[in-house]
Formats: sequence, C-alpha cells, structure tokens
Amino acid sequence: MKKVTSSRISQLLFLALFLVLFLMTEYRGSDRIVAAVNGFFRANPLTAASTMLAAREYQPLLLPGLLVLVAALFLGRFFCGWICPLGTILDLVTGRIRKVGALRALTGRAKYWLLLPLLTASLLGVNLAGLFDPIALLLRALTFFFHPLFGDTVRGGWRSLYGVMGERRDLLDPGYRLLRDYLLPFRETLYPLAFLSAFLFMLILFLERYERRAWCRRLCPLGTLLGLVSRLGPLHRTPAKLCADCQACREHCPTSFDRDLLQMDECILCLECSLRCPSQRVRFRFAGSCPQVGPVMERRVFLGGLVGGVVLAKGFRFREPAAQAKLLRPPGVRDEDDFLKKCVRCGECMKVCLRSALYPAFFQAGVEGMYTPLLVPRLGYCEYNCTLCGQVCPTGAIPDLGREEKQRQVIGKAVFDKNHCLPFAKRIDCIVCEEHCPIPGKAIRSERVELTGFDGVKRVVQQPYVVDELCNGCGICENVCPLEGKAAIEVFRVKDRTPLKEVSPAPAMPGAPPPDASPYTDPYGGNS
Amino acid sequence: MERRQFIKILGMSSLFLHGWLRNLFAAQGPVVAVAQGTDHAAITRKALAALGGMQRFVKPGQTVVVKPNIGWDRTPEYAATTNPVVVKTLVEECLKAGAKRVKVFDRTCNDARRCYASSGIESALHGMKGVEVKHLEEERFKKVALNGKVLKEWELYGEALSADVYINVPVAKHHGLSRLTLGMKNVMGIMGGNRGSIHKNIDQALADVNASFRPQLTLIDATRILTAHGPQGGNLADVKVLNQVIASTDIVAADAYATTLFGLKPADIAVTRAAYQRGLGEMDLDKMRIVRV
Repeated sequence: MKKVTSSRISQLLFLALFLVLFLMTEYRGSDRIVAAVNGFFRANPLTAASTMLAAREYQPLLLPGLLVLVAALFLGRFFCGWICPLGTILDLVTGRIRKVGALRALTGRAKYWLLLPLLTASLLGVNLAGLFDPIALLLRALTFFFHPLFGDTVRGGWRSLYGVMGERRDLLDPGYRLLRDYLLPFRETLYPLAFLSAFLFMLILFLERYERRAWCRRLCPLGTLLGLVSRLGPLHRTPAKLCADCQACREHCPTSFDRDLLQMDECILCLECSLRCPSQRVRFRFAGSCPQVGPVMERRVFLGGLVGGVVLAKGFRFREPAAQAKLLRPPGVRDEDDFLKKCVRCGECMKVCLRSALYPAFFQAGVEGMYTPLLVPRLGYCEYNCTLCGQVCPTGAIPDLGREEKQRQVIGKAVFDKNHCLPFAKRIDCIVCEEHCPIPGKAIRSERVELTGFDGVKRVVQQPYVVDELCNGCGICENVCPLEGKAAIEVFRVKDRTPLKEVSPAPAMPGAPPPDASPYTDPYGGNS
Repeated sequence: MERRQFIKILGMSSLFLHGWLRNLFAAQGPVVAVAQGTDHAAITRKALAALGGMQRFVKPGQTVVVKPNIGWDRTPEYAATTNPVVVKTLVEECLKAGAKRVKVFDRTCNDARRCYASSGIESALHGMKGVEVKHLEEERFKKVALNGKVLKEWELYGEALSADVYINVPVAKHHGLSRLTLGMKNVMGIMGGNRGSIHKNIDQALADVNASFRPQLTLIDATRILTAHGPQGGNLADVKVLNQVIASTDIVAADAYATTLFGLKPADIAVTRAAYQRGLGEMDLDKMRIVRV
C-alpha cells in the first residue's frame, strides 16, 4: 500500500463514516433517527443536479450537493479523491488487481454518453441518475446483497450453534447480542435485484483490471459532472505537462497521466504527483490561465446524449394496468410522476424499513422505475407508528412527516376477496385482519351473520368488511392473512391518495360513524 | 362379594362420586385474589400475598419466565399491553424469592423492537440484574404434542417450556373474535408458526394449548382495560381505568372473574367455557374463593 497521505486519511475517515451511517440507518429504539447515510446523498452534486432538473425547482434538502458542485469549481474533483467511499474501496483493492491496459470501448466519450442522457431524462421528468450514481450503487450493493448476506451467515451460524449447544449457547449470548444489536440487519430479508446490485458493484471492481480507477475516470456520471465543472475552474497543476526529464507522474497518477497533459476533468486531487515529485516541482495553484485541453466533447456526442435522454424518458412509458394495481409506494407519496422526479433510488428507505416492507422495483413500475421502492404487503407492512422512510429519504421523494400525519397518508385501499376469505368462502371464523388493523376506529370491521356452515351446522360467523374512509393501506391485513399463498385481503393502489380525515380525539368521531351505532361492532352485542 | 360384582359397584359409584368429588373441591375452590388501588406495584404485591406470596411459586435458584402481553406497538395508557409497573413488581418479587434468572418475552404482532420499547416494559426492566428482556429466536420453538381436539401438535417456545416457573401476566382487553383476551389467550405469545390459522376454532384451540401448557400463576392486569376496538385499541376513549389486578393459580378462574369487569358473564366467553368443560379450571364464580385485598 501507498504511504499514508492526507487524502488517504480523509478517504478512510469518510469510508468509515459511510459504513457507520449505513449501520445507523436502522431503527434503534427511537422514533427519530439520529443520523443516516442520507447525508452522503444530500451532499451529492449528481443527486442535486438531477433532482432539481427533474423537479424544476430548488430543493433545499439538496443544498449541500450544490455547495459541493460549487466547491468543485475551485477544487476540481476533490470529492472523488478525498470523499467518495466507492473510490476509496477501489483504491484499497486496486493494488491487488493486475492491469491489462485500458479498455478501448471506454476510452472515448463513454462517460458523456452516460451522463448526458441521464441529465436529459431528468429534464424530461425522469430522474434516473441514481441508477449509476456511485454512492447509490455502493449503498444498494450493501443493502440488498452484502449486508443481508453477512446477517444470514452470522445468524445461520448462531442458529446452528443452538443445535450443537442447546441452552448452553446462552453463555455466548452477550457477545452475540453486541453483534446483533450493532452490526446485523434486524431481520433476514431477501431482496429482488440483489443479484443485479452485487453484479454492478463487482463489475466496477472488475474494471480495475483495465486501469486504476477505471470506473471513476471512464464512466462515473458523478465524476464526469464534477469534471465538467472543474474544467472551468482556476485550479491547475504546474507544470501541466509531464516533464521531459522525469515523467514519474505517469506512474503515480491514478487517473489521467497516460496522456502527456494532466486532464483536470479526470484529476481527483490525490496530490500523489506533488508529494512524490523527486525535484519537488509539482504544485497545484489557483492560476487564471487555462492550458489548452481541447473540446469537452464533439457535437455529435452532445446531440446523441440528448437524444438518448429523450429515448430514456419517453421510450418506456407503457404500463401494464394489472401490474399497476399493486404498485404501492411508501407512505406520503401521493403522485407517481412527482415521485419519479425525486426518487434517486438510493435504497435507504428499503434499508431502514422497520418491517422490511419496501423492496426495489424491477420492471413493475416501468423500466424507468427500476430500483424505486415498492411496498409489498405480503412480505411486510407499513408499521403504523413508524416514520423512518420519510426521515432518511435524501430528496424528500418520501416526505418526512410527523407520526399522526404519516398515519393518515393513504398508500392504497384494502379489498377483500370473498372467494378466498374464510368467513365467506368456508363459512368459518377468522378475523385476523380486523385484529391487526391499527386504525383506532378499525378500518376493518365485521358483522355477525347467522348462516349454515358447509357441515350443515347453523352458526354465527363474523364476516369482515373494509371502511374505506378509515383505511390507509398500511397492508398489515394482507400481511397477516393466515391463508397460504394469496391473501384474501389485498391492498390496491388508488389514484386519490388524499390523507384520511383527522380524527378528533375521543369520544366522538365526527368523520366516521360512531362504532357503537352498529350492533355488529358493539363488543358486547350479538350472541357469541 | 364376587370380584366382578365389586368392580361393577365400584364403576357405578364412581359415576355418582364424580359429581360429589367435584362439589367437595368446589367447597374450597380456587382462590382468586383481587387487589384494587392506584399504587399498581402495591396491589400486585397484595394480590401475590393473598395467594401465599411469591415464595410459594418461586424457589431459590430457579429460572422464571414472566410472560406479559407486549403484542402491540402501543404505549401503556392504551391498555393494549401489560402495565410495566405490574410486570416490574412481579419480576422484583421473583428475584426476592430467590429466582436465579427471570426472562421476559412475548411473540409480538407489530415490530418486536417497537413493541418492547413502546410498552415501557423494556425500559422498566432495564439494568435489573438477573433479568433478561429477550426477543424471540426462531430456533427455540419446539414441536409439542398437544393431542387436543383441534390441535394435534404445535410449536411452543423453548424457554417457556424449560422454565421452572411460568407466570402469565396478560392485560384484560376486548378482542374482536374471542370477545375478550385474558389469561388463556395470552398463551398465544409463546406459540410459533401461523398463529392466525387457529382463529377458525379459537376456543377449542386455546383450550388445547392451555390443557398442555399450564402456567403456575396467572395475574391479570386490569389496572386499565380496553373495552372496544381490541386487541390493539389506540383510542383512549375505549380505555377504562379500574386499578385492579386479579391473581390465581387457576387460569380459568382468573379469566372468569376478569370477564365480569367488562359486564359479561364467564360463560359468555367461548374460550373460558371450552376450558371449563375440559376441567382445566373453575368458571363458576360461586365456587371460587374471591379474596379482595
């Protein structure tokens, strides 16, 4: 490994911070999350640029990202060399990967072909930048693959230890508790797209065999954006070119000295060349004069990028109606188009979700909805008192709401399928859905109906129904429905997601019919 | 008398004796201690004392499970979970009686972390020596042969099965299906698997489990009760403050008495009826010794 430089110390600190924040993006006994990894996205210029372009308005949450962009004007791509955790990981592993030389396909204008369509699509209302944002790529690989894998492995070991030791395993419990409470995911969750998330991450590592920081230099849209800005800035290296007598920079530079001239839009400010210069010639200075670096990109690349963006934003708009019916978004999301403008697919809401209710979409939300969060009630429901997803969302795509306000947000509406539901289909009691419904006045109620069972015996069965005005679509009913496979009650998406009426505190509930008015909901009424 | 004749008479007489024996025991009947007062720790201790104190149940060095209802993510005033003061007092009494370890847990319906925190039970017991507030671990469930009417076998929680003493501490509240959830329904908190599926025959299923798994002591928290929209509640208008706890070694008797707090008769609750018919305990209020303290 290289000797310890200040850039390396900064890199390691930020990587550690990233990992600590990653672990803190989890319920830890308090309704508010102290710190989450969303800071990295709020300070991410690509997130800021793409989200603001898409929403066409200033987003105060993303101000830090704009500030980093402005800083890049003066300091170049310092973010890449000092902060970016993905870059740090690449620097840490690259020494162990033998290089075979640059990949032809990537040496051209590939990075602009990636960045321009993404930004153009943003301008057209589809915020896709997160798909290739380095921080998001890393976070998703961790959230969907590596962290669950780690949890699965450790917990599996702990479990099999029980098979070996039985109750004596309790002796080791304090140690395991520490691990469980601070390092493991709370529950084992299998995510769709785990493979793709891990694959993209591994692919970025794989690119290291062609050259150092190949991803950062040749593809990364965030780096490319910062590079574009830094070209305009006053910071330059002297001497700009390789010195004829030494040329050691070519060896030290992780990114751009395979041409004779330092490319400021590729330089990540690691300062290796300056620190290692045998004759201490190399300086980075704020100088007005800009050495000739040639055009940013050819006109055809620019135009092609724009066209690519249009195709991306407008080419995949077909929606299968049946699939749309189950397209449930996190609480507080009221408009799909608005959501797609702001969601950067970072995966944090899915990481933090208390009941593992949120999963990344593959094609359910259309091609441009890939990696956006979907609520899958059969796997997990939206916990009534929890507001974590809104708290960690870096862009406000999921609004950060107070508890009462979040409880009134409508995710969808529950609908019974009487062909499956036991009290209807089998004429026997069940009511697990009503039991679990968290709405104080119960959005699922039941009526006592006297009927003849299929065994010929007369009995009273409680048949459930949904009170639409009270249902917020949290999905706990679908989650706990004891039927195997398909639930007999399902939450479906609704267009009108106006929040439920505020329920004035007890005793009278003006909006809803008083529960005692109906003999069916009177706890002591009817016969038992 | 010939042997055959003797056996006949014996068999015949046992038929009559059966009812007589029952009456004989009923004369003493199970003790149901009912304590009332605004100091919930004090009434818990009083109720225990009326049954002979915790040392009657817990011997030094034993492992005790105290099983409250922590099923829902609600704060204590909503009466959806057991009063943390009552739980804490019981745990203290167990320790005083010499318990080596006291374990407190429940299989929650909402997220376990939130339930443990919101119920106030986790924080009430925090830092107490020898006390473990635990989340359930899937691998500890053990298949138990119940050979009941509707449940032949079910997974029950290993730490509950292996405990020397098991103390059942439900909160008395309304339930949409079983009308009330009391002591016998609280046992669902140690049941594994798809618990919802027993709802189709909940009274017999709960009688099956309770016939096989029997808590040494049941203490029902009725310091405040949830009278409607149970078992989750969420509306303080549905909560009634009674400042009572009911304790008995007879789970059916405790449930039967607690039923009266809701203005119902013990026989109105199908679970109680089913358990009584199986001889799991007494539900006739006249045949219990109700000790008010």
